[in-house]
Formats: sequence, structure tokens, C-alpha cells
Amino acid sequence: MAEKPQPVRVLYCQVCSLPAEYCEFGSDFEKCKPWLIQNAPDLYPDLLKEADSKEADKVAQQLQSTALSSGSADGSAPSGGASASKQEEVKRLPGGKIKRKEKQEVVIEKIVRNKRKCITTVKGLELFGIKLSDASKKLGKKFATGASVVKGPTEKEQIDVQGDIAYDIVEFITETWPDVPETAIFFIEDGRKVAAA
Amino acid sequence: MFKKFSSEDVSSQNQVKASVQRKIRQSIADEYPGLEPVLDDLLPKKSPLIVAKCQNHLNLVLVNNVPLFFNVRDGPYMPTLRLLHQYPNIMKKLQVDRGAIKFVLAGANIMCPGLTSPGGVLDDDVAEESPVAIMAEGKQHALAIGFTKMSAKDIRAINKGIGVDNMHYLNDGLWKMERLD
Repeated sequence: MAEKPQPVRVLYCQVCSLPAEYCEFGSDFEKCKPWLIQNAPDLYPDLLKEADSKEADKVAQQLQSTALSSGSADGSAPSGGASASKQEEVKRLPGGKIKRKEKQEVVIEKIVRNKRKCITTVKGLELFGIKLSDASKKLGKKFATGASVVKGPTEKEQIDVQGDIAYDIVEFITETWPDVPETAIFFIEDGRKVAAA
Repeated sequence: MFKKFSSEDVSSQNQVKASVQRKIRQSIADEYPGLEPVLDDLLPKKSPLIVAKCQNHLNLVLVNNVPLFFNVRDGPYMPTLRLLHQYPNIMKKLQVDRGAIKFVLAGANIMCPGLTSPGGVLDDDVAEESPVAIMAEGKQHALAIGFTKMSAKDIRAINKGIGVDNMHYLNDGLWKMERLD
């Protein structure tokens, strides 16, 4: 053990953080491609060819030649664009499973606690980028009741407000947070979703 | 194991006593003799060694907030992939075929056929219940760190079911946690 083994420097992709050679198995190979072409061209020789052919296509289009041969490549380009925009919509979960982004909506439910006392729960405010702790404070102040952030079922956080405020709350939400449209607010009545608007 | 792992799963971080520090260092040195010359650089005696306890009896060894090793209960210490990439020869290696890569990267355990097929390589010295680096066909770097469930010979003989438990793989929670503050 005379000399120290030198640490190997591994090329990590700046886009997906994997070692460059694993980009093709990463979650977003398409996004890594430009980086790979620049930084690790020797790892994916096919990519370069692809890029070349695309560039060639561009030239061909500029020249407005009747490019029948590049038809297949032409077809691939727009589909790639569409998939990129689609990818923004779907959120990727760990494990490569794809889950659609949750619908942005606020769900309000009244839970009767004992005959004349009830709790109003507000779910989904966080989907609009609202801080739940702030929101609960505001709600508590406005209605002069207790309002707390509670971990609801399935690890989701919701706000519990004491008392029946179901009808005033819609106005309050839309006024305090203009980002939340009235159409995105729903009540739960008899187990059914009813739009507030 | 680290499929869903974030700084929230760390329940406590403690700077450990010098004696514990020595013990950790010793067990790492025993497990990975190849690391010995650089161990002083990795775990400098001067700088504090922090052990982060996480859920499921998991411990992370941190130096300067960078996770370097992890272990479960009193099991052997295993390097993180970032560390293993720097010193690839410290662990025994098993290689899976190309078809298995995407499953391993999704967190699947390594099944025997993936190791015994033409794309896989088995090191016959590997015993059961030992940490191994999982390499992949046609790739230079390790893609996962596993803990063998059977010895290499058994893997070859039985050729069925889980051969290696997948502990830590590329793009899992621990991989994404480059630093823990």
C-alpha cells in the first residue's frame, strides 16, 4: 500500500445527475441529449448521427428541396416536440412510474363532530402554492376560531377549521388568494362533489 | 431501500465519540482493504464524523455533510455510489446483463438469471450476505450497491429468484442527496 489509488473522476450528466453512460436509462433521456452531444459524444455515437441528420434536414428545408428521403426524420421531429410538452404535464414519480399532475382544486368538507359542532376541512390549498401554515393562520383570524394544519389521510396535509364556515370560506379564499379560481373550489355534500360556483 | 429517501427521513444527527469513530473507521478498513490508503483523506481524523440515524435502523456516515457510508443495524458499512465511482475497485463486483439495467435503476432486487446470462459476470469468491457492487453490461461504472442473498455459487446453481438485494442504486433518494445539512 505504498501509493494512493487516485480517485476516478466520473462524468456526471448535468441534467439528470447520473453518470453519462446511464443517461439512456434515466428518466429524461430526451432532455439529456443536447448535453450529451456536447460533453460525451463518444458514449452515444448514434446521437451524433441523429443530430447530424436533423441538421441536414434543416438545411434541406431551407433549400426547400423536395426531401422525400427525410420524411421519416421530419415525422420524428414534431413528435419529439409534442412529447416534450407532454412531459411537462406528467409528473414523474420515483421508480419511473408516471403519474398525471394532480388536478388543482380545493375541496371543502364539513364534518359534524357532535350534533351542533362541526369542523370544516380544506384540502388542496397547497396545490396552488399557498403555504398551509399561513393559510391556517389567516383562516383562524378571519373566522375567530381555531384553525390548524393537520395530516390527513394518505399523508396529505389539510387545514381543519373549527365551526361551520363552509359558505363564507369560498369568498374568503378567492379574495385572499386570487390564484384560486372559484371554479376550482368544491364542496363535499353527502359524499358527492359539488362545485361551489 | 432508498427509493423514497429524503432529509426528512433523518431522525437525528450526532457527532460521534472518538471511540465510536475509531470503531467505524476500523470496520470500514476491514471491509474494504482497498480503501485503506485513502481512508485518511476520506475520514480525516481531525474533522468530526457525524452519524445520521434514519428510519428502519439505517445509519449514514457523514463527513463534511457528505454521506459516504451507510449501514443497516449492525451490518457492514457500504459506500455510497458516488464514493464507489471514485474508487471502483474496493468492492467485489457482479455484473448484470443489459436487460436488467432499467429494473435495477427502478429499485428492483437483482435476480439470479440477470447475473448468470451471457451479459452477466459472477465473481465466484462472493459469499452470501456480503456487500457487492453491481455493474452493468457495457458500462464502466457501478449502477447499484447490493447485499447478496446467496453466494455466487448458489446463484449459479439455483439460478432463480432474488440473488442480490438492491440497497442503493443510481437516482434513488440517497443518490440525490449529495449533501445533508
